Amino acid sequence: MDRARKRRLAPRYIVLSAAAAICLLPFVFMISNSLKTYAETVTRVSPDPFSPSFWPSLPQWSNFAEVWRGDELGRYFLNSLIISLVTLCGTLTTSCLAAYAFAKLRFPGREAVFSVFLLTFMVPETVTLIPNFLVVSALGWTDRLAGLTLPFLASAFYIFLLRQFFKQVPDSLVESARLDGASNLRILVSIVVPLSRAAIFTVAFLDIAFSWNSLQWPLVVVQTPRWRPITVGLTRLISEAGAQMQLRMAGALIAIAPVVLVYIVAQRQIVETVSGSGLKE
Amino acid sequence: MLIPRSLRSSRVLEALSGYLFILPAAVVLGMFGLFPLLFNVYISLFNWRIRRSAFVGLGNYNEIFGGLLPFLCLLLCLLLAMVGLRLLAREKPSGLRGLGLFFEFLALAALGVALPLVAARGDRDLLNAFRVTVWYTLGTVPIQLVLGFALAAAIHGKFKGREAFRVVMLLPYIVPAVATAAVFERLFSLQSESWANQVLACFGLRPLQWLREYKGVFQLIFGFGPAGKPGGLLAYWSSWAAGPSLSLTTIMIYNVWVYVGYYALIFANGLAAIPLQYYEVAALDGASPLTVLRKVTLPLVSPSTYFLAVLGVIGTFKSFNSIYVLRDPAAGGASDPMSVSIFFQFFRGGRFGYAAAQAMVLLAMVVGLTLWQRRVMEKQVYYG
Repeated sequence: MDRARKRRLAPRYIVLSAAAAICLLPFVFMISNSLKTYAETVTRVSPDPFSPSFWPSLPQWSNFAEVWRGDELGRYFLNSLIISLVTLCGTLTTSCLAAYAFAKLRFPGREAVFSVFLLTFMVPETVTLIPNFLVVSALGWTDRLAGLTLPFLASAFYIFLLRQFFKQVPDSLVESARLDGASNLRILVSIVVPLSRAAIFTVAFLDIAFSWNSLQWPLVVVQTPRWRPITVGLTRLISEAGAQMQLRMAGALIAIAPVVLVYIVAQRQIVETVSGSGLKE
Repeated sequence: MLIPRSLRSSRVLEALSGYLFILPAAVVLGMFGLFPLLFNVYISLFNWRIRRSAFVGLGNYNEIFGGLLPFLCLLLCLLLAMVGLRLLAREKPSGLRGLGLFFEFLALAALGVALPLVAARGDRDLLNAFRVTVWYTLGTVPIQLVLGFALAAAIHGKFKGREAFRVVMLLPYIVPAVATAAVFERLFSLQSESWANQVLACFGLRPLQWLREYKGVFQLIFGFGPAGKPGGLLAYWSSWAAGPSLSLTTIMIYNVWVYVGYYALIFANGLAAIPLQYYEVAALDGASPLTVLRKVTLPLVSPSTYFLAVLGVIGTFKSFNSIYVLRDPAAGGASDPMSVSIFFQFFRGGRFGYAAAQAMVLLAMVVGLTLWQRRVMEKQVYYG
C-alpha cells in the first residue's frame, strides 16, 4: 500500500476503531465483572479496560455456577430454548405456507388479505396485550407453553419477507413441476424452499433472536418458575434486592451466549441480510 | 366461457389450496393480531378492574382527557396544523404560504393551552409519559440518523478489515436487549464506584445519580426548573423547559448505542447503491464537497433516511424491554414513555379498562404519525 493511500485511510480507521471500541466496551465490562468477587466489583473499578484494575485479580468462574443453579437461570435458559424452538418451527411452517400462497397461487381476495395481514404488523404490543391476556387466561393457558408460544406462531413480517424471496423463484419452474403432477405442497417443499434457503435462514435467526428477547408477554402470562424464560429470570435477578453485580453480569452473559454464538457462526449471512433489507422485529 | 373444463377445475383447485395455505397464519394473526384490536375497544368502554364490571361508555376516555373541552382543544389544534400544512404545501399564490404559517402558529398556540388543560383536568401521568415519549424520540432518532450517516461514510467502500468492523457494529443490535440493558444499568448506576461516575471522577467531576435522577438535564446544566403555581400554564411548560430527565437521557444513550451501528449499515447500503457517474459529473462541474453532499448524496440516500426515520419513531412508541430493565422506580416515572406507563397501569394497577383506553390513544397516535410521515416524506424522498 502506498503512503498516500495509507494517509487517506487513516481517519477512517480512527473513526471506525473508536466506534468499535464503544460497541464492545459494555461486553468487555460484562465479562470482566462477571468474573469478579463481590468485593472486587466495588474496589477494582477502573473505567479503563486497559488498566489491570478493570479486571478481576483472579477469575471467579463459580459465579456462573451460582446463577445457573442457585438462581435457577439454567432452568429458565432451557425454558427459553424450548419456547424459541417451538415458536420457530411454528412460525416457519405457517409463514412459508402463507408466503407461498401470496407469491405463487392465484385466488380471489389475495391482495386484500395480504394488506390485512400487514396491518397486524403495525399495531404496538401495548394495544394487543390486555385482550390477548384475557383470551389466554380464559382458555386456561397462563403458565403453559401454549400461552407463551401460540400468539407468535405466525408473523406478518416474516410472511412479507419470505414472499419477496419466493416471488423470485421463476414461475416457469413452478409451472413445469405442476405439469409433472406435483402438488403445491410438494413444489413448496422441494423447489421453492431449497431455492430460498438464505432467506429462510435469516428469518429463522431473526425469530430466535426475537423470541429469546421477548419480555412483555412472558411477564404477563407467566407467574410461576415452571415456564419462566431467561429474560424474566434476568429481570428478577436485577430487581431483587441484594442481587450482586457479578451475578447479574454472569446472568447477562448466559442470556446473550446463544444468540452471540449463532451470530459468530453465521455473521456474514446475517450482516448481509440485515443491512440489505434492514429489518428486525 | 371457452375455458376447458380441466383448466377451470384447476383454477378452483389453485384458489382452494391458496386459502388452505394461508389458513394457519390467518387463524393465528386473526386471533392474536386483529381480534384484540376490536376486543380492546370493547374493554376500554368498561370499568374493568381485573374483572369486568359496569359499562362506562366513554368514561375512561373522559378521564384521560379531562372532559370534552380539553379534547376539543386538542382536536382543534390538530385541525389547524393539518390545514396549515396543506396551505404550506401549495406553491402559489405565495400569500397562501403566509396564511399556512399563520395557521401553524395558531395550532401551536392551541396546543400551548390544550396540553396544560389536559394536565390539570385529565390524566397527568399519561401526559407526563407523553412528554417522555416526545423527548425520547427527539433525543434518539435525529442523533442516530446523523451519527449513523457519518459512520456509514466511514465504512463505505473497500478497505481492509471492513467485514470485521461491520460485524462488531451490528453486535449491539443483534444481542438480546434485556441483557445489554442489564449491563448499562450497572455502567450508569448511582454508586460512586459505577463506571460512569468513575469516568466523571477522572475529569474531577462529582458523581451523578444517572438512572435515578428525575431532574431534567437542562435543569441540571442551566438551573432553570419547574416554576409557577401547580396546575397553571407556566408550571406545565416550565416542566418541558427542564428537558428530558437525566434518567431518560441515560436510556437515550443506551438506545443510541444499540442502533447507531445498524443505522450505519443501512446507510452504507444506500450509499453503495448511488451510481458513481453522479460523483464524476459533480467533480467535472467543480462542485465543492459540501455541495456534492447536499445535492447528490443526501437526496439519493433519502429512501434509507425515510425508512430509518419511520422505523425509529415507531420504535420509540413501541419500546419496552430496555426501559423495563433500565428504569429506576425511585425516579418516579421520569423515564417511562407511554408504552411503559400503560403497561404498569394494567400490570400493577389492574385497571384493564382504563389501560385499554390509554392503549387506544397510543394506537391513534402511532397510526396518525405513520400516515403523516408517509405524506410528508413521500414528497421529499427521491426514488431513483
